[in-house]
Amino acid sequence: MSRKIFVLFTLLALTAALLACTGAPPTSAPPTSAPATSAPATSAPQATTAPPATTASTTRPIKVGIVDTYSGPPAAFGNDALNGFKLALSEINKDGVLGSNIEFVTRDDKYQPDTALSMAKELILEEKVDVLVGTVNSAAALAISSFAKEQKVPYIVWIAKSEAITGAKGHRYVFSTSENSAMAGKAGAEALAQKPYTKYWIAGEDYEYGHAIADAAWNNLKALKPDVTKAGETWWKTGEPDLTPYLTAIMAAKPDAIIFATGGAGMTNVLKTAKAMGLSDQIPIWIHTAIDTSVLKPLGANAPEGVMGTMDYLFYYPETPENKAFVKAYQDAYGAPPGFPAFHAYNTAHFIAEAFKKAGALDKEKFIDAMEGLKIDSPTGEIEMRACDHQVVEPLFMGVTKKNPQFEFMTASDIVSVAGKDVMPSCEEVLKKRSQ
Amino acid sequence: MVKALVEPRWLVATGVILIGLLLIPFGAPLFYIYILSVIFVTALLAMSLNLVLGYGGIYQFHHAVFYGVGAYTVALILTRTSLPWWVALLAGPFVAAATGLIIGWFCVRLTKLYFGMLQISLGSLVWIIVYRWYDVTGGDNGIHDIPMPEWLTTFQGAYYFILAVVAVCVGLMFLLIKSPFGATLQAIRDNPQRCEAIGINVRHHKLIAIVIAAFFGGVAGVLFATLERSVFPGLLFWVLSLEILVMCLLGGWFTFAGPLLGAAIVVALRTVASRYTDYWTMVLGIILILLIFFLPEGVMGFIQERAAAKRTAPHPQRVEERSGS
Amino acid sequence: MDPSAVISLLLVGLARAMILFIVSAGLTFVLGVLRVPNVAHGSLYMIGAFVAFTIATAFGQSSAGFWFALILAPLVVAAVALIIERGLLSHLYQREHLMLILFTFGLMLILNDLVKLIWGAEYRSVTPPEILDGAVTLFGFNIPRYSLFLLFVGPLVAVGLWFLSNKTRLGKIARAASVDREMVGVLGINVSWVFAAAFVIGCALAGLGGALVAPTTSISLGMDLTIIIESFLIVIIGGLGNTWGALIGSILFGVSQSLGLLFFPQFAIAFPYAVVVIVLLLRPRGLLRSAW
Repeated sequence: MSRKIFVLFTLLALTAALLACTGAPPTSAPPTSAPATSAPATSAPQATTAPPATTASTTRPIKVGIVDTYSGPPAAFGNDALNGFKLALSEINKDGVLGSNIEFVTRDDKYQPDTALSMAKELILEEKVDVLVGTVNSAAALAISSFAKEQKVPYIVWIAKSEAITGAKGHRYVFSTSENSAMAGKAGAEALAQKPYTKYWIAGEDYEYGHAIADAAWNNLKALKPDVTKAGETWWKTGEPDLTPYLTAIMAAKPDAIIFATGGAGMTNVLKTAKAMGLSDQIPIWIHTAIDTSVLKPLGANAPEGVMGTMDYLFYYPETPENKAFVKAYQDAYGAPPGFPAFHAYNTAHFIAEAFKKAGALDKEKFIDAMEGLKIDSPTGEIEMRACDHQVVEPLFMGVTKKNPQFEFMTASDIVSVAGKDVMPSCEEVLKKRSQ
Repeated sequence: MVKALVEPRWLVATGVILIGLLLIPFGAPLFYIYILSVIFVTALLAMSLNLVLGYGGIYQFHHAVFYGVGAYTVALILTRTSLPWWVALLAGPFVAAATGLIIGWFCVRLTKLYFGMLQISLGSLVWIIVYRWYDVTGGDNGIHDIPMPEWLTTFQGAYYFILAVVAVCVGLMFLLIKSPFGATLQAIRDNPQRCEAIGINVRHHKLIAIVIAAFFGGVAGVLFATLERSVFPGLLFWVLSLEILVMCLLGGWFTFAGPLLGAAIVVALRTVASRYTDYWTMVLGIILILLIFFLPEGVMGFIQERAAAKRTAPHPQRVEERSGS
Repeated sequence: MDPSAVISLLLVGLARAMILFIVSAGLTFVLGVLRVPNVAHGSLYMIGAFVAFTIATAFGQSSAGFWFALILAPLVVAAVALIIERGLLSHLYQREHLMLILFTFGLMLILNDLVKLIWGAEYRSVTPPEILDGAVTLFGFNIPRYSLFLLFVGPLVAVGLWFLSNKTRLGKIARAASVDREMVGVLGINVSWVFAAAFVIGCALAGLGGALVAPTTSISLGMDLTIIIESFLIVIIGGLGNTWGALIGSILFGVSQSLGLLFFPQFAIAFPYAVVVIVLLLRPRGLLRSAW
């Protein structure tokens, strides 16, 4: 019997040891100058004793809770965002906000909406964060958004792109610093409307974001060019590894052009398979985020050329001093150029800082009021948090993939800039969708 | 004929625990109330599995299907129709039981491992439907914002409701185990051939047990939907089924309260561990393997063994009671 | 729908079925001899893919790198399997069946996180060698060269397995052990080493499958879960422990999905599973003879 007790204790001790050893997050970013703390590294839980009510006291730090994906393929986005956020904090915390610093706590949702919801509950109820931010998965964002509304905690979405987030399911407590499917779809549609293609095929990943972007692109395209026809649709499950049969079927149908609606993770797969099968040489393709560096980088020279894409951030364009400074700072800190998640997270941090400064207190309601209509400077110019729907207004860039001798991976060429307000749905349209 | 169903000491212990649980919401932080609710739901799920696993010796490898079906039934009824909430909550377990009947009917012709693998296959088919039928079930996203009556949406309200339902179900399961049906089931587990020989229809019995287990699994699913007001396809995924098996094993699958303990441990560990490490699944895997090697009786089994060893020389009646509870 | 499209799709489906076959053959082999459904089989497949990536990258993602990876990755996986079997699994053979299954489940959890720990969370890619890149047009239909390669490798593996099973001493002993392990032990054969060999071979097949699939897809965490459920279903409809059953099952699986894409693109993913239901309704023990 004592042997069994001994074993039980060994078991517990081993578990504790493992917890201590594997406590480091998967990407270890070099420590920034800010005293920002990340939960996975510390062993003492962050206990906030100050009530989150309207205290005029400014002596406690602002606590931001991040729920994001740090495991699985979308982890690349989660990590990129976290790095961008930390970079921004290192700048912000030099002067501080309301007499103190911004701190953050992170949780991994493993790209699962249910895990994301649990983590959000923990961050709000237990860690008592002032602001919640995240996540990559659109479905997770929607689930968290419902909970944030119930708990009256502001939630800023920084990567997920479903337009439902600030559109049909939007409310006072949710914001987005990411471009969304409505904007991207309209931009893509405008680009495609100028081309002579009429017979389209739509294919993509069978989830919220996939359908959102496909609908946005198609509906806008049809409105701009009524003679386009949809030859067919193909949907595969998110993360489907082998796309060869799907693409073979599409090629057999011989459409004029294809609209692919995939998330960042599936995108790399689509591009790779399209190139391997020779599809990209035969049929024109448009994909939102096709020109994003995080998509093109793993493919290297294996990426297809000539694919049309849209994106709201490119580290090599525009070549403004702000962008160059941002890219350099990021590169120095993390050893690689920033992607769009870093850009969004960076902006989010500055939005949070400026909003609290404008509000003058650590009050959530005042924070939300301050956010509405707030304008800040970003690496791509001035951007605004639109008051009516809490959606960020920022420019989009459209381009075509092309080999670039400067880098090992492809970049976009023939870049065209589109102003955010030209592709966003109007306030009336959004409010109408919300009331339905 | 007054053979006590339960030793008085266990009855007192249960009573004390129940009173303690009733008092917790007065003063505990909201998050702990929420986590306890999760533990109750998971415990019910694990115990419903153990009805067939521990007491029936049936390799129920895809129990999560019934859990998910119960949850999705509630979600679909409340978001697609205007039927009242209690109709949805009642429908859940019955739909789950029906699913249990259909799947069970196929599987019950086979035994042991083959049964388990066939169940995984059939269960995965259900999962595929839920996962891919985007228009109806929301596919990957799941279904959110399930409307519930006001009092059920507060943490305390949900807690009491779940506690009440789980307590009733646990009581019912206990009575079932102690009933003649339960005794037959255990006899079938221990020696199916002999049971056939004395005229028991083994397949029928197993099928009924599976349906009942599916029913209670469906109740757990309904409670999940009530607590989270969201459902996800992951509820029907085979990995969850294996996790429930792990809970039963961890707690002790030859005991009644074992799965409850196992569920509590896993949920607590998961909540705490995920704060400190990104590799919680690896920790779970290591715990599981250590358990298999060193503590195959599970924690509860271990406790019971020690308790029994402490008593004086084994009494024939005591031995009988011990193997029954 | 013109016939060339149908043929393209059929061939692509068959090519995909070849990878499914190689992985399922390993699973069914272990199942037949050891009677253990190895839930961690998918993880070993994933490890095979990641190891192939590492080896290929070590050779600069060149054509030679691919071939080295193809040969070495299964060997690495075999080594891992041997360690697992000798160190842990072999001590559990006399235990309850349930314990063995839960053991492999625990193994799966550990291996998955180990992959994340070692290779990180990013997508990886393996470049196919030059001669296998791109597509060819044969008799009017388009087919990726790599698919043709798979169509060649698959039957090769099948023949190799048949040879191993029927013509070698090890194979004969393994077949005997799957039917009656006690008798084999009584005959003085070291059953323990037979089991070890069977497990290692089965896992090596998983590793080979992973290495083969690497150039066609993004190598990522989570690829183990998809393959394991498909492999299990194939093994069930083929008959437990039956290699030819695995072949038939894989072909049914791969082709039904491709054909589904032609007629009902939205529901194509459901076709293989529909096939599984039909088979199980007609023959619940699988199409071909099960080992037990």
